[in-house]
Amino acid sequence: MKALVTGAAHGLGRALTEQLLASGHEVVAVDRDVEPLEKLAMKYRGACLACFADLQKVESIQNLLDRLQGSKFDLVILNAGISATGKFEEIPLQAYDRLISVNLGAPLHLASRLVGDEWMSAKSKIVFISSLSHVVGYPGGAVYAATKDAIASYAHSVAKPFRKKQVSVLTVFPGPIDTAHAQKHAPDQSSRSKRMAPEKLARLILKASRGRAKTLYPGGKTYLAACFGKLFPNQATRLMRRGLYDKMTGPSY
Amino acid sequence: MTDRASRKSNGQPGRVRTVLITGATDGIGLLLARAYAGRGHNVLATGRRVLADDQDLFDAPNIVYICADQSDPVHACSAIISAMQNMGWQHLDLAILNGATAWVGLPEQEPANGMKQLLDVNFRFQIHLAHALAPFLFEAAGRLVMIGSTATKKAQGRFATYTATKAGLDGLCRSLREEWLGRADVQIIHPGPTRTNMHAKAGLNIGLAKWFFMSPLRVASAIQYAIRRRDKRRVITRYFAFKARFSSAREGIL
Repeated sequence: MKALVTGAAHGLGRALTEQLLASGHEVVAVDRDVEPLEKLAMKYRGACLACFADLQKVESIQNLLDRLQGSKFDLVILNAGISATGKFEEIPLQAYDRLISVNLGAPLHLASRLVGDEWMSAKSKIVFISSLSHVVGYPGGAVYAATKDAIASYAHSVAKPFRKKQVSVLTVFPGPIDTAHAQKHAPDQSSRSKRMAPEKLARLILKASRGRAKTLYPGGKTYLAACFGKLFPNQATRLMRRGLYDKMTGPSY
Repeated sequence: MTDRASRKSNGQPGRVRTVLITGATDGIGLLLARAYAGRGHNVLATGRRVLADDQDLFDAPNIVYICADQSDPVHACSAIISAMQNMGWQHLDLAILNGATAWVGLPEQEPANGMKQLLDVNFRFQIHLAHALAPFLFEAAGRLVMIGSTATKKAQGRFATYTATKAGLDGLCRSLREEWLGRADVQIIHPGPTRTNMHAKAGLNIGLAKWFFMSPLRVASAIQYAIRRRDKRRVITRYFAFKARFSSAREGIL
């Protein structure tokens, strides 16, 4: 099986890449920071291809696609994502531009080209990573939440047209993950023990990607939070405000 | 009921308000601009088109039009803010972020540059403008209204990116409303299919389906009704548009 993972150098992408390689699959690992990936490529010689791409830039995505010309993927995980947290009006617009390009522009562009140019093999899967914020809201990360809502909507919309090309779509709605990136955006006093380990999340995602599920709320706690958010959307957003927004000290982007 | 509701939500009637409406050269935006100007408010209308004489289009002295191309959010926002400053507006009572475009076709055939432009016009611009308008809205405890679409309710195979941008706005408003609590109000209004030129501009021939679409006039009046009611999230159904007919705004009321 040949897989493509974006944002593969750190956090969840790293865990996904390592697990795919460990189970003997070929992985094209894409990131802006290729140094950690090169070590992986050395370890799994031949199976891991480390590719540089800055997903903020359309030209860089185009270069990546040019470089991968002729590949056929069985699994594509559009995992790369960044965040910007703080008061909406205090975060600079450049941070929002970056956020929109990486979290929304890049996965849409990649998914559309990979399927459109017939780079997905038959019975292949595209995995979009949305967020639990899709169901509970995210005061203090309004634009991040907006991009993740947009991704969830896009994944839902393209499922049918992509199915005609024998490509199925899985959308993942993870809750808080215990990564360095997430730590940067969480309030100072939040405990790390409540967050899901990226290795566990990666296992759940890879398991779901082999099945027929269209959506995945990984873990019992995430599932319960999603149920609460769907039943009581206003209260869920209010709780998110109390738990995150009111405790934020300053913008982080 | 209407008068009571509007008095409750808008304080004393009769004050002239400042209203910003984007995408006001056509469709719902044009009707909204005319309606608010007709009630005596000062309206700043924006659009992509360069108009030789905006009085012909709007037919009202209290509408000022400026050209702001949303596909370049940075320039469009600075044009809008400098227009507001030139008019001496210190605060903003109501901003309706209505302007949007669409692209119709299968997602795998969507050109990359068109996709980027759609994201800029329908999503990035709204974020830039909300960011720029925040101090003006806080000053007046004003209202930010974004126009979404009922397309977000279902999977839209041929409008995937358009629907994604509108779902993004829905999520933005949900979180932003909570953030701005007590400082400014944020509303998201999702109109149903409307008989405007948007479909034709997007290259979609709606054919006979247009007879099932709501008239823009009715949708515009339903949007105003939702704004008066301060609904945080409103889907404009036929029933809601019907109810809106029994509510009329008096002069000086938003």
